[in-house]
Amino acid sequence: MPNLDLLHEELTQIVGEKGLLPNDRYKDYRVDGFIPKAVVFPESVQQIQELLALAADRGLSVIPAGSGTKLGIGNVPQKVDLVLSTRRLNSTIEYEPADLTVTVQAGMLLSNLQMELGENGQFLPLDPAYASLATVGGIAATNASGPLRLRHGTPRNQILGMRVVQADGAVVKSGGKVVKNVSGYDLNKLYIGSFGTLGIISELTFKLYPLAESGITMLLSFKRFENAAKTASEITSSQLLPSYLNLFINGVPDTRIVDPCLVVGLDAHPKAIAWQRNQVQWIAKQSGVVGVEITQEHQAAKLAESMRTFAQTNPSQQVVVCKANLRMSNIEEYIGVVLDVTSALECTVRGMGLMGTGQVYFVFSDFADTVEPETIASTLAELRSHASSVGGNLILETAPVEVKREIDVWGTIGSGSGIMNQIKAQFDPSRLLNPGRFVDGI
Amino acid sequence: MSDDKQLINELADVVGAQNVITDPTALSVYECDGATLFKALPDMVVFPENAQQISAIVKLANKHQTPFIARGGGTGLSGGMLPVRGGMLIALNRLDRILEIDLKNQRAVVEPGVVNLLLTHAVQDDGYYYAPDPSSQKACTIGGNIAENSGGPHTLKYGVTTDHILALEVVLPNGEIVEFGGAVEETPGYDLRGVMIGSEGTFGIVTKATVRLLRSPQTYQTTLSIFETMDDASNAVSSIIAAGIIPAALEMMDQLVIKALEDGFHYGFPLDAEAILIVELDGIEAGMQDQAQRIISILNEHNAREVRYAKDDADRENLWKARKSAFGAFGRLAPSYITQDGVVPRTQLPKVLRQVAAISRKYDIPIANVFHAGDGNIHPIVLFDERDPDQCERVEMVNEEILTACAEVGGTITGEHGIGVEKMDYMPLIFSPEDLKVMASVRDIFNPTGLCNPGKIFPTPESYIKLGLAS
Repeated sequence: MPNLDLLHEELTQIVGEKGLLPNDRYKDYRVDGFIPKAVVFPESVQQIQELLALAADRGLSVIPAGSGTKLGIGNVPQKVDLVLSTRRLNSTIEYEPADLTVTVQAGMLLSNLQMELGENGQFLPLDPAYASLATVGGIAATNASGPLRLRHGTPRNQILGMRVVQADGAVVKSGGKVVKNVSGYDLNKLYIGSFGTLGIISELTFKLYPLAESGITMLLSFKRFENAAKTASEITSSQLLPSYLNLFINGVPDTRIVDPCLVVGLDAHPKAIAWQRNQVQWIAKQSGVVGVEITQEHQAAKLAESMRTFAQTNPSQQVVVCKANLRMSNIEEYIGVVLDVTSALECTVRGMGLMGTGQVYFVFSDFADTVEPETIASTLAELRSHASSVGGNLILETAPVEVKREIDVWGTIGSGSGIMNQIKAQFDPSRLLNPGRFVDGI
Repeated sequence: MSDDKQLINELADVVGAQNVITDPTALSVYECDGATLFKALPDMVVFPENAQQISAIVKLANKHQTPFIARGGGTGLSGGMLPVRGGMLIALNRLDRILEIDLKNQRAVVEPGVVNLLLTHAVQDDGYYYAPDPSSQKACTIGGNIAENSGGPHTLKYGVTTDHILALEVVLPNGEIVEFGGAVEETPGYDLRGVMIGSEGTFGIVTKATVRLLRSPQTYQTTLSIFETMDDASNAVSSIIAAGIIPAALEMMDQLVIKALEDGFHYGFPLDAEAILIVELDGIEAGMQDQAQRIISILNEHNAREVRYAKDDADRENLWKARKSAFGAFGRLAPSYITQDGVVPRTQLPKVLRQVAAISRKYDIPIANVFHAGDGNIHPIVLFDERDPDQCERVEMVNEEILTACAEVGGTITGEHGIGVEKMDYMPLIFSPEDLKVMASVRDIFNPTGLCNPGKIFPTPESYIKLGLAS
């Protein structure tokens, strides 16, 4: 294909040989089955600008990425031409431990950042899946988080400032480098969770925290998930301050536990841990706990990793992953609805609820061969309407393409739709960036 | 019938004649907010009681091409509600209902005119509170807090307003009523709730907010310590942070504040001390004594001359009283004052405070400092007499030099008060024309006619000339 060869030549002129992925590996970056025309790794903001200009000129779509761990999230794309990864923009720009802030380039891997911060007894309290692959830019663009969000929130609470390369190449700053800042509009919020549809994040400043003195993880098993849910709700309404509170509907991955289980993370002063541990045990006992295990250090870290990757699956498998956002008080009932509604699909259902913040991840797998994608999609639509009827929503994070063609992965977005579409049209008028993958056809 | 007259009649049809003020004497109450140096008289003030009325009012304003500006408690410190081009103030004081308290889900739904502290009062007996606590919390409203993305002494640990808002109902500048965010933590799409918060009333009018409530901490440990030198106090702050402790609050006051407090309230503070530092821990009781002891040793290592320690709630109230009454005491020092609101990286605090002192000497304008040391958010209180034009001119130079000093060390020009009219000239110190262009393009999406709170936030061509940045 001579056109493609020409494109690769032009791209090489911008990013160099090392900045272009060998074409036999393009399939690693495929999006819903679409294999990109090229995958490029710019190493400077200027190269990003040149790539955007080239893409605009040739009418190519640009899919911003870090390592691609979240590329599966979104509607089936209209077209996938150029995957632009920020992986090579990976240096620390400014780190003054006493300021408890750090400014890094977007392609910095979370694990590398944590290592650097850890040397000073600090960390960035974000724990999405795959720290050794996920870039901080990707984490921001997808507003990715993990179990720690109960204590520390999501990227929207930790990001102080950003630099973003706009679709037209302009490099624009939002926010700043200090922990409190109301100068001008808070456009950080616009880019966080925008899934690459408004610009390419090149630099971020984060708020940091001191590492906890010590920590333990408690695994509380119950015969029925309702009892685990009750325990969780008593803990959230108490004065205890767990760092996470995750309910597993039927077993905890990578452990022997197959019953419903509540996993409680406690990190604090050793005396505060001891007191909270006793309180948790007492509360659980009232709800009929049948097993209490306490782990720490290596074992607790392993368990935390299992929780972070709970909703991650190999996209080649026939697996559906959804995330329900609910009011805490609706979680228990909703889980019952999901188990009931999906029983007709005869699939395996696993579930993990973040009980203090209201997200429930469901993983459906091992569908019977006879189940049609339309049936899966209509079941999901039913689950979504249950979620909306109690003020929540359901986002489809992973699904076979055939299912995604039948249902919008995001669902409806309500009365903000007009403004959202105008923002997209303003920031990216020629729809260069990740077209068709976000809400409302954005 | 003049156009204004017709508009007033039409407004009266919406809210009733008794809820529209046009009498000049009555209007004069509304000529400024807490930034009293800036004044502008509205042509009318209207008092709606719900979102539908506000939508109708906004549509009338559009029909008559009249600027309109929402107003909450009027405690703002940047002239954010100032009707600089005349027009209509939409006072939100009648939208003051707490619509729903849902402790099970730790949230409440409130109207914008609810006074900040009253929300906490409504839930504190059940063991909950609303975390953002601006110093004006007895008078400022949740709607105003949302417009300014307000902070307060406890934001060091708990974040600012944007971290505590889940959903907003908004009347857009075209009169349409929309909802941003939702009853749950995450909703799909761009975070318009986040963009709306801190937009200083230029993106529309918030008519309802779902806010997060927090469980009250089990206990507090509060100390007030007195230092001979500002540097010792600043270094103590750095050492506390370096020790891996994030207090709930870390507040500092300088010698001039101490003097004002002593003149006014007699707390028994030594007048030769340069700084007072309040450190508060909150959370779980077990182990907190150990942390408090650690803080006391850090304070002593940095030559604290005296450490006062709250033994109970009454003691704690007393220690905070000094901090909270500081602003009431400035009236004794000068007829007028401006509160600056710069933020600098914590490590730059000693340097910037020395610069502020030098600026004060250079222009012979006294400056007191009371500030959120843990956040690096300084509040230089510039003391002067607004009847003296020469002083006013020098004050303007003082402001410019302080904000420039903050910007130069990587800081910003406002941490919680907003840009408003007060600091729009200084925006080029921290944002490039490209940055501002993108911000303006977002404003134009929400507010295409520019009638919603015009003349705010963005620098004018004159601003660039003033800063010597004009090309």
